[in-house]
Amino acid sequence: MIGGLFIYNHKGEVLISRVYRDDIGRNAVDAFRVNVIHARQQVRSPVTNIARTSFFHVKRSNIWLAAVTKQNVNAAMVFEFLYKMCDVMAAYFGKISEENIKNNFVLIYELLDEILDFGYPQNSETGALKTFITQQGIKSQHEDKRRAIPDHQPGDWANWLAAGGHQVSSERALPGCAGECEPPHVPTGGKQSIAIDDCTFHQCVRLSKFDSERSISFIPPDGEFELMRYRTTKDIILPFRVIPLVREVGRTKLEVKVVIKSNFKPSLLAQKIEVRIPTPLNTSGVQVICMKGKAKYKASENAIVWKIKRMAGMKESQISAEIELLPTNDKKKWARPPISMNFEVPFAPSGLKVRYLKVFEPKLNYSDHDVIKWVRYIGRSGIYETRC
Amino acid sequence: MPYLGSEDVVKELKRALCNPHIQADRLRYRNVIQRVIRHMTQGVDMSGVFMEMVKASATVDIVQKKLVYHYMCTYAPLKPDLALLAINTLCKDCSDPNPMVRGLALRSMCSLRMPGVQEYIQQPVLHGLRDKASYVRRVAVLGCAKMHNLHGDSEVDGALVNELYSLLRDQDPIVVVNCLRSLEEILKQEGGVVINKPIAHHLLNRMPKLDQWGQAEVLNFLLRYQPRSEEELFDILNLLDGFLKSSSPSVVMGATKLFLILAKQFPHVQTDVLVRVKGPLLAACSSESRELCFVALCHVRQILHSLPGHFSGHYKKFFCSYSEPHYIKLKKVEVLCELVNDENVQQVLEELRGYCTDVSADFAQAAISAIVVVQTFRDLVWLCPQCTDAVCQALPGCEDTIQDSEGKQALIWLLGVHGERIPNAPYVLEDFAENVKSETFPAVKMELLTALLRLFLSRPAECQDALGRLLCYCIEEEKDMAVRDRGLFYYRLLLAGVDEAKRVLCSPKSDPSLGLLEDQAERPVNSWASDFNTLVPVYGKARWATISKCQGTERRGPELPSTAAFAASGPLIPEENKEKVEELPDSGALVLVPNHHLAAETFEKAWLSLEVAHRQVLPWQGAVHPDTLQMALQVVNIQTIAVSRAGAQPWKAYLSAQDDTGCLFLTELLWEPETLAMQVSVKQSEARADTLGSFTSVLGTVLGTVGDIKS
Repeated sequence: MIGGLFIYNHKGEVLISRVYRDDIGRNAVDAFRVNVIHARQQVRSPVTNIARTSFFHVKRSNIWLAAVTKQNVNAAMVFEFLYKMCDVMAAYFGKISEENIKNNFVLIYELLDEILDFGYPQNSETGALKTFITQQGIKSQHEDKRRAIPDHQPGDWANWLAAGGHQVSSERALPGCAGECEPPHVPTGGKQSIAIDDCTFHQCVRLSKFDSERSISFIPPDGEFELMRYRTTKDIILPFRVIPLVREVGRTKLEVKVVIKSNFKPSLLAQKIEVRIPTPLNTSGVQVICMKGKAKYKASENAIVWKIKRMAGMKESQISAEIELLPTNDKKKWARPPISMNFEVPFAPSGLKVRYLKVFEPKLNYSDHDVIKWVRYIGRSGIYETRC
Repeated sequence: MPYLGSEDVVKELKRALCNPHIQADRLRYRNVIQRVIRHMTQGVDMSGVFMEMVKASATVDIVQKKLVYHYMCTYAPLKPDLALLAINTLCKDCSDPNPMVRGLALRSMCSLRMPGVQEYIQQPVLHGLRDKASYVRRVAVLGCAKMHNLHGDSEVDGALVNELYSLLRDQDPIVVVNCLRSLEEILKQEGGVVINKPIAHHLLNRMPKLDQWGQAEVLNFLLRYQPRSEEELFDILNLLDGFLKSSSPSVVMGATKLFLILAKQFPHVQTDVLVRVKGPLLAACSSESRELCFVALCHVRQILHSLPGHFSGHYKKFFCSYSEPHYIKLKKVEVLCELVNDENVQQVLEELRGYCTDVSADFAQAAISAIVVVQTFRDLVWLCPQCTDAVCQALPGCEDTIQDSEGKQALIWLLGVHGERIPNAPYVLEDFAENVKSETFPAVKMELLTALLRLFLSRPAECQDALGRLLCYCIEEEKDMAVRDRGLFYYRLLLAGVDEAKRVLCSPKSDPSLGLLEDQAERPVNSWASDFNTLVPVYGKARWATISKCQGTERRGPELPSTAAFAASGPLIPEENKEKVEELPDSGALVLVPNHHLAAETFEKAWLSLEVAHRQVLPWQGAVHPDTLQMALQVVNIQTIAVSRAGAQPWKAYLSAQDDTGCLFLTELLWEPETLAMQVSVKQSEARADTLGSFTSVLGTVLGTVGDIKS
């Protein structure tokens, strides 16, 4: 069980504090600030024990969320709960930022009242919570409104595919059966030709049907949800290849050339491509030339950021940069961090495909062709790094 | 928490709350209340406006009600008499036609932590248990547990317990799970909720209907059910099979634990289960949720202790990525170190080598990762002699990044043992020998002596000079006795002849630190199954033992008025730790009084008049952070009277505490940078050996914990 929940900003100021159990004193709030947020060295573990109290924390942008307990709890559950809380908050007011948390202060207290009672997780589904929450989420004005798919944490490649890749939204596909009616049954079929190392399904999926027919049959809950999460390691088509070339010209100059090659059907377009080329700390100036997109040296991030809006398959693009270095007497060599990349492609690099999507709705008698349905593929990069 | 101008804030808010104009305007009124809550969140004492807030509770505005109730739950213990005034409104709300209002009122009423509230909440709770809205029932069920907690040690109400047991059959899944939680707390003294066959089977059947929190919780409760027959056991396992593949990692881990425990007698079933959760665990280990990934890695390590080869085929999953937080990198390197075998050692080593040059980027991180990496290298070298070459190539260049004593020791050891194959080994060691005067850790000096002597035996020409100077320094100038002794011993050994020295130093098992890998014999699954999915794998067994031991101590010295709220460790504590908790002597029961305050002059007078009753030296490295220490001491009700500022040398602190018999404990802490130790002197106003023992152990654990956090 969770004894208390605190939210801090990056300075360690308490934005939200809710204590559920007597054994968590007021000083717990300060103990976490002093020992973790203000600690000089970086975080050594997401679970910190201070004076026999365990603090579980997660960070979202520069906001710290900490769950506190004195019990020998199940750590995975506490973290899952914190993630869930972030999801619920995000569903109400978008990004978890200091501004949003301050603006939605009452809402958050309302939520904390409902999703935990006496430290035990209660109802945490956004849909069901709506009945008990009076406040509307206040979104900050400069929030990106074009959120077609929910924001996921940058993650490992295969995992991401599952998370954002294929969404079948019952709400959008079935405008007529929101709310009262019995939700429809939606079986989708998957071809067996790709090797999935393992997969997990949302609770609504009938596993027996999957085992016998290899089709995923489910009654969708309200809203957006993650139907399936899978992991593959074999036969992944890497959509981009990154070929770096770094040459040190004397002690005060570096020449960097990076070529990216897109490796998918020429008819498809990758979007939001961003390549991040790290530069040494003693960089004094950078000249960049790129054939496509825009590239900029960002001194504060110690990196050259190269952005390309769109790029078709089977193409290649190149950037070259000359980096001037300040002479230093630092003996340590530059560590050459990897070049990282972000992008979106309109297919699943794992090769996973939805063969068909059928909708059954017995109560209102919708037949399968009455409903408008579509499947959209988006493959978004998680951590995509190339050593140089 | 001191807050500048907080009194003015309270005054101003009080005025605003009383202002009839504001009261008439719902939005403005709500705004003022919000400000009160905001200040409360920031730690300002807002109990001054309690009266006005109670008045604000009588409203139809639900938002306002929620805010006021939240406020009242926080300050009710401070103003019990005023809080009673709100009971009326709350009771009225408990029979509101809107289930949401009923639930809210009931929940808030049960959360008012103040004496005397029980008589008012009993009836509403009982009504709530039979409410037709499941929302109210959920609240009422947990309300029973809250009520019991308020009573403290009072007797268990049999009728209520029966009612809760019957509610296990409720339609609503959350009510069912709340019943289990509530019964568990109410019946804690009797060993918690009883899971008999009908209940177990009922719960098993309800499992698919529960949400992930409920499933995780029920799996945990099922641990205490003992199937009657083998047949029943396998039926249960079959029923729960799907949960091993749940999308929620906590359910997967809960199910794994249940399987491991139920199948105690069937090692092949256990192994089979561990094979089947491999996929989900690996997925969690490479998950985008870093904290979860960390927890999964801790559990993978645990499994590796019993099945060393279990993840060997997947070693690549444990390669670090540059942008990962370093706690994950550390865990991954630990895991890598445990799953190396003949086939993958080359690749693993290659990868580790990569990390070695990688680390120079960030100073702090460099130090830590380098230790781990070099230690790993040392272990690998011991394990597979054929790969030493690869390690030797990677070593040059590491020495700049290592700052920590353990890392230095490991590197020096490597250079000594494999020095003949590392061209610049003598020069690296020579550098260390040159700087030995500024070296702070005696252990590093000892390692250096051994290593240089060893290398001298294989490459005499290059080392003679350095060794001579090092020996000279150690014997003539060194203050640490152990180092000096080691130096003298080697000197005399060399006098006995080179062959004799070789025989002593280069015998196969001369280094005790290498026992490390040998005692990693496979541990049976049953030895850790009960720790699985708890905090034990996260903290590590040794660390957990100290933490739970402290909890035992604390049980005797509660910092809060209600002891019953102290659900010290629940049933999840592994058996052996439980024994440890009980082992603590009860005779010297020590209860330190909270809010004890002693003026500095009184302290000084008492300090001068008393004799030192106990003296102790605790190991302590690095500087002291007075804030951390003070905070930690406050938690166990030890007051800090005076303290040197951070970084002062020598550093001193004076502490005071009082137990329930009025006996004073006065303590001086003295830290001198040269000794690397904290000197603790305790004086006692009445000489009583038993409480003195308990006090020093409490103090010792606090200092130990703070030391741990810091280092």
